[in-house]
Amino acid sequence: MTPKNNIIIGIIIALLVVASYNVDANPIEFIEGLPNLAIVVEEMLLVEPKYVPTAIWAMFETIQMAFIGTIIGFAIALPLSMLAARNLNSKYVYAPVRALLATIRTFPSILWAILFVIMVGLGPFAGVLAIIMYTIGFVSKLQYEAIETIDSDPMDAVSSIGVSKWQLIRYVVIPESASHLLSQLLYMFDYNIRQTSILGLVGAGGIGFYIINYIKFFEYGKAAVFMLIVLITVLIIDWVSVKIRDKYIIKSQHGMEVTTK
Amino acid sequence: MKKIQMIKNQPLSLISTTKIIQMSNVSTSYDSKNFALKGINLSIDRGTNYAIVGQSGSGKSTLLKLMNGMMISSNGTIKIDYVVPDMNDKKFKKMMHTIGYIPQSLGLIKNITVIENILIGALPRLSKIQSLFKRFPEHEIQEAKRILKLVALSGKENRKVYMLSGGEKRRVAIARALMQKPTILLADEIVSELDHVTAHEIMDLIADAQKQMNLTAIMVHHDMQLALEYANRVAVIKDGEKILEIGVEGEKIVDFQTGDMSAEEIMEMYSNDSKK
Repeated sequence: MTPKNNIIIGIIIALLVVASYNVDANPIEFIEGLPNLAIVVEEMLLVEPKYVPTAIWAMFETIQMAFIGTIIGFAIALPLSMLAARNLNSKYVYAPVRALLATIRTFPSILWAILFVIMVGLGPFAGVLAIIMYTIGFVSKLQYEAIETIDSDPMDAVSSIGVSKWQLIRYVVIPESASHLLSQLLYMFDYNIRQTSILGLVGAGGIGFYIINYIKFFEYGKAAVFMLIVLITVLIIDWVSVKIRDKYIIKSQHGMEVTTK
Repeated sequence: MKKIQMIKNQPLSLISTTKIIQMSNVSTSYDSKNFALKGINLSIDRGTNYAIVGQSGSGKSTLLKLMNGMMISSNGTIKIDYVVPDMNDKKFKKMMHTIGYIPQSLGLIKNITVIENILIGALPRLSKIQSLFKRFPEHEIQEAKRILKLVALSGKENRKVYMLSGGEKRRVAIARALMQKPTILLADEIVSELDHVTAHEIMDLIADAQKQMNLTAIMVHHDMQLALEYANRVAVIKDGEKILEIGVEGEKIVDFQTGDMSAEEIMEMYSNDSKK
């Protein structure tokens, strides 16, 4: 360990202590609060199985919201990310697009949900709109970063044929970044399901609506049913995306490695 | 030492003598101090198999990029079929459709199939709608299949490129360039990493295509022997300067910069030079 590293670690620890003091982060309070958690857990264990069908239906609604939000958001993000990629555009194109995307990204999904609840009223549609906006902001950044890292050789070789920019995107950029794009789509869907589960907090539909209401009325046993369904769904989606990843993404990335010199 | 008899190609006098590429006093640099090329003069006849030989970093790849408009020279004039190469110029952009360029890395798209890679060569001939929906006309698909046969890849059209061997990948890159219906083929060290036999197979393939399609081939090589075997003319580049240009006329090798010399003397000169 060099002295420089020691100084950096020292600074990080100092910042951690100062920040903890400023936000009243007190480990003792945490430990003292553990018995309260035990009470909640105990009540949660009184699971009420008759709510399972309702929970499954609410989860289904949540999945549909996440699905629409992810697909539409992704479809809008793709052209925007092409405009934001530095290796495809001049500064005058990518800089304003990036600024716009950064603005969209500033708001977390829950704030978008509040905004859309005001706009279109309570219910799942507001949630879908929130997910779309969040997906655009987030996934376009992942996409343009992926596009910027693609190998410049195929781009140069194909541009030297004198093709148009749109042909270059269609025939080189998209195929070359396809495995990244698929990977991002899966990641975003997975992430959006978790997110949509909490959008109900502000009345934007989905399973979160039930969870927050039961918690408000201290009915932890009922809330637990809904939380359990979220957990099972997330695990299933995680498992499915691992399978898809193994089948399509890992293989093509392996192919890329083989051909790189 | 190479024997003159090993030179395969026809003498220059049998080929049409209109100049297709002319460079005079061309210099270019990546930054203000270091020149990548200095005062290059080249004049290449239509239909020639022209070789540019030099060591790594000598500037030979830069020379190819100047010819296809991917780079712009800082000084001097370049004319490709009487047009100044610049990829931002409309007239030249049309001409780029018929300049096949194979970079050293081949520039293939690895996740798509062989035939899809080859069809990319036909993109300039497609309408916007056709290229958006990947609707290649039947005659283009037939042409791609004909070229597949020419490069001996029939039956492998639906393989993904990353599954191919090094030699096969080079065949795909050549096929993509031929699909452009090129008048000029630029290839950057296309055989430098191949074994002797495969390298000759690839070079024979290009020589055949050249005869069939009346191409001007400009090929950058690392290996002087290979260049002499196939080219009508060979330019040697060192540290950005052309130090030698030799040609084959009948059974004789001619040094175009310093007058007549025997093949032995030229080879001697080159081998001394590369030892430095």
